[in-house]
Formats: sequence, C-alpha cells, structure tokens
Amino acid sequence: MRMACVALMLAASLPAFAQETTVRIHSARPFGYFVGDLIHARIDVSVPADAVLSRASLPNPGPLSGSLDLRDVKLRETMENGARLWRLDLTYQNFYVALDARDIEVPGFDLSITTATGAQTIAVPAWRIGVSPLREIAPQKQEQASDYLRPDGSSAFVDEATPLNLAFGAGAAALLALALVARDRAWPPFQQRKARVFSALARQISTRRGADGGNLAVAIQSVHRALDQANGAILLSGDVPEFLRRHPEFELLRVDFERFFETSKRLFFGGESSEDDEAAEQLAQFVSRLARQERAG
Amino acid sequence: MFGALGQALNETLHVVQKLSDWRARALEFEQEIQKAVIGQARVVRLVTICIFARGHVLIEGDVGVGKTTLLRAVSRALGGDFARVEGTVDMMPSDILYHTYLGEDGRPRVDPSELLRHAETLPVFFFNEINRARPQVHSLLLRLMAERSVSAFNRVHHFPYLNVFADRNMVEREETFELPAAARDRFFMEILMAAPDDEEARRRLVFDPAFHDTETLLERVSPGTLDYRETPAVARAIQTHVRSSEALERYVLNLWRALVDPSSAGVSLPDVDLDSLVKGGASPRGLAALVRAARVRAWLEGRDYLIPEDVRDVFIEVMAHRIFVDPIHALRSDDIVKRLCRAAFDATPVP
Repeated sequence: MRMACVALMLAASLPAFAQETTVRIHSARPFGYFVGDLIHARIDVSVPADAVLSRASLPNPGPLSGSLDLRDVKLRETMENGARLWRLDLTYQNFYVALDARDIEVPGFDLSITTATGAQTIAVPAWRIGVSPLREIAPQKQEQASDYLRPDGSSAFVDEATPLNLAFGAGAAALLALALVARDRAWPPFQQRKARVFSALARQISTRRGADGGNLAVAIQSVHRALDQANGAILLSGDVPEFLRRHPEFELLRVDFERFFETSKRLFFGGESSEDDEAAEQLAQFVSRLARQERAG
Repeated sequence: MFGALGQALNETLHVVQKLSDWRARALEFEQEIQKAVIGQARVVRLVTICIFARGHVLIEGDVGVGKTTLLRAVSRALGGDFARVEGTVDMMPSDILYHTYLGEDGRPRVDPSELLRHAETLPVFFFNEINRARPQVHSLLLRLMAERSVSAFNRVHHFPYLNVFADRNMVEREETFELPAAARDRFFMEILMAAPDDEEARRRLVFDPAFHDTETLLERVSPGTLDYRETPAVARAIQTHVRSSEALERYVLNLWRALVDPSSAGVSLPDVDLDSLVKGGASPRGLAALVRAARVRAWLEGRDYLIPEDVRDVFIEVMAHRIFVDPIHALRSDDIVKRLCRAAFDATPVP
C-alpha cells in the first residue's frame, strides 16, 4: 500500500534518545471512512542500532473500543542510515456508525525497548481519523416500508455437475490406485495373491552376485527351493512337464527349465565343478525370465 | 607305479565298455519281453531292475493279467529254466523240495522236485499265491531267498542265479496266511501288475488270437537275449560303477528320516496321525535295496551317477511293502503307506 500522506510525526522527548528515536505514523488518508472500512496505518519507529524490541509490547489484534477493532499487526525490521527501523503495519476496522462527518480517535500504545542504557518505553500517540455517514439522517418518506430497503443482490447460479463429475472421477481414480497398490503389496483382499517367489529370488541372486561373485551351487539350490515353493511340493526334473501344464505362464521357458535341471544334475550328482561363469550367467537369466513370466501370469 | 595306474585305467575302461554292452542287451531284453507282454512297459522295467539288482520280487496283481506269461517270457529271454509252484493251505516244505510218486513197480519213490532239479540253471522261480501257503513254507522260502540255498537229500543245494517271484492272492482272506514282516522285508520289490490302461493294448489282448495262446506267444521272445549266468557279475559291476554324490546320499537319508519320523521332517497327511502311524519297517536293508535298485535304474538310463529321479522312480515298489503301520490302519495300509511315501518326497528338498 502506498502511503499517500504523513499524518503525524513525533520526536521522542526522552533526553537520552533526543536525536535518535522517532515515531512516524502514516495512513492512506485521515478522513472518508465508512462503517466497516479497513484502515491501514504504518508506524515507523526509528531507534538506535543496538535497541531490542520487546515483542510482547506490540498491540494485540482484537477490539480496541466499542467501534474499532485491530485486525492485523505485522512487524518488519530494517536498518536505515545507521539506525534501526521498526516498520509496523497495522490494520484497523471501523464499526462506528456515524450520523455526521466527525473524527474518532485511534488509541495510542507503548512499545518497550532495551538499549545499552537500559529498558525504555516509547509511546506511540493516539491519532485521529475522519469518519462519514452512509446516508442522510432523515430520508425521504417512502410509501412502503420495504422501499427503504435495497433489494438483495441476485445469487449467481453455480453449475455443480462438472465439479461433481470431477470429484467422482478423482475418487474412482484414487480407489483404482489404492487397489493397484494393495495388489502389489498383497494387502487384503489380495492377500491370497501368489507370492512372487521368483521376483524376490531374482533380487536376492543379483545382490549375492554383486556381493561376492556368488556361489553357483548355493544359487542353484535357492532356485530349486523357489521352484518347490511355486510347485507346492518338491519339483524334480521328471515333474517339469506336469508343472508347466499347471503353470502355463512358464511354458515359454521349457528349454530353460531343461537346461537348469541338467546343470543342477551334473553339478550336484554328476560331480562336476561349480566354477563356471557362463552357467552362473545363464542361471541369472533363467531366474529373471521366471520373474518376468511370474509377473505376467 | 605308472604301470599299475595304466592297468587300473584299462580295467575301468573295460568295465565301462562291458556295462555299456550289457545295457544295450538289457534294453533289448525289455523289448523281447514286451513282444509277449504288451502295455506293461513299467512292470517290465521294474522286473529288469530286479534281475540286475539280484532281488526277489513280490508281484501283486489281479488274476489273468499276465503274471505267469511275464515270468515265463523273462525266463525264456534269460535263457534259463522256469519253475513254478502253487501255494495251497496244506502244502508242506517237503512238497517244494521233493517229488513223491509211486513207481512202475508200485513202490514209493522220492525224487528231487522241479526246483531242485534245475537248481543250477534256474533264474526264475514263480511261487503263485504265496499267502495260501503255511508259515513253514514261508520259512523255507525265506532261506531260499536269503541264502540262495536249501538242504535236501542230506546235502545243500545252491541256486546261484535264482530270482524268486511270488504272487499274493489279494482277493480272498479265508485260509490265507499273511506274510510276516520279516518275510516281506526280504522281497526286494513289490510290483503291482494291473491290466494295461492303453486302449489299443486292451483291444489286442482281448481280440488278437495271438494273445490267447501262451505257448505260441512265448515263441515270439528270442531265447537267451541275456545270459542269466552273467547277471551276478554284471550286477556287482553296476553297484560299484554307479556313483552316488554326497547330495544324493543326504537326500536318501532325509527320505529315510521322513518315513520313520514323519512329523519331525514336516510330513503330514490330512486324516492320519503320523506320530503313531509307522510301527516298523523302513529298515537299513530296505534302504540298501532302494539304492541298489536306483543304481540299476541309473545304469539303464545310461548314467554312471545317481539322481533323485532314480530313487523316486523305484521308491514305492522297493519301500512300501516294508513299512508296517499301526494295526488300526491295517485294512487300508497299502494306500496310506503309498500316500506317506509321496508326502515324504513332497517334503524332502533336493539337492
């Protein structure tokens, strides 16, 4: 708000601050306020640089008199020409129903500050503003009592169909998202969803490979256990066709299954060495394919 | 030192080559049997395993499914003799060993029975309806099976190539003597022989006249495809040649534990209290038989090492008849034991 005029300027009369402490009250205009109007005032308090303001001494928003409220208090602190400047923006509201144009008083208040010399009080003086009536004292006589009243403003028609549709749409989208999250996390009612054993295994194997290069025998055993879990019983190579019949999502991996069981057979029962990077890579690929098919299924 | 090493290597190579040749002949043997017995590939495979594991067989099957035909075909393909006795309630052990009759001169004679006469050349001895015979007869049979010898005419007769095949009558219960646990445990396998499931095989068995005449049917089987006199040596070679890894040995021991103490191994059956189910059986002899049979299967599959499928494939046949359950389940023990075996497999992780 641009301050159009300076209403008052007070040079504090305290001897110690004679040259340093000033209080200036600015308001947009000193007159022309009607009932209900907001009155914006700015009070600039200039003090020595070392002064500290006690914020408890600031005026509190609330009723000041029967017809004047303080609505809002804002404080900004800056430095100006080596002095400290406190800029108080005060918003009052006038409730005085004036019958003629007259001045009313905006009450003053005290600010407590502390300086090098001790605690001091700065008085912000009362100031006055002019208020005006909205209507003449004796209006022209009307035939109907209702003629003294102004008609109500017509209410605007608000079409609620669009916001309602948007609300329903957003609600449905939120529910769908919730359902997807619940399914992903196997929250009720999706707790019956098959556990994604191969996805967990793929993560586990890739972590293990990253950590210590991975032991092929241990990795193969963990794949066996995951297959057993998916099968609901121990799965041997002879059971694979039946397993694939019951889990058609893995049918694409028939060759990988055969290769896996052959590798496992040679390693665990045929006495072959387990140091084989290619086999480890094939195993990791097999598990990631299993995980992919599991999610697809 | 290198000379000794080279000699050992040569011997190993020789054994490998010999086993490979014998495997081809064993497969040919199976083919020959299946010329006479159709739709019974699994039974033929199990009988082949028993022959190369030198194990005696309990055959369970309905009447008229071809048990005798199968055994005669086996006997013919092995090139040896065939002896058969029928178990009856009044049979005594001497009836198996001696042939008593009146001679032309009217005087009683005692000659060796068919079994004794063929002792040295008998690979197949078929004891039909063994549970009709009395325990005295079972006892003689146990000795014959365990030691491959009997005492008769005041001397010991040896049966170096003998495989006993016994059939149980499962229809009647009157006048039968159920085999005691010890007798059942000495049978290497119990093979179930049912009518074939295959429609075409069923049709041929019923409508093809070739299957109505056993004698002409058996002529289809080439005699002596295998030489029964070599089977003991081959059986020994198989057992030493087929390796078992540590993982497989651990697996078999875990299976054993699952059978003997099912609850501790996490095995469960829906309507059976497993804590008190198994009362006996699953003996070390049974487990040794299991591994013997699995090794022969591995050899027939062309491998020189055991895999879990070998064990599983023969498990029910080798183990089920050796597991004795609480008498409360006696009437349906066969079914429960088979379910227990399957549950043990489902709960024992491998490798």
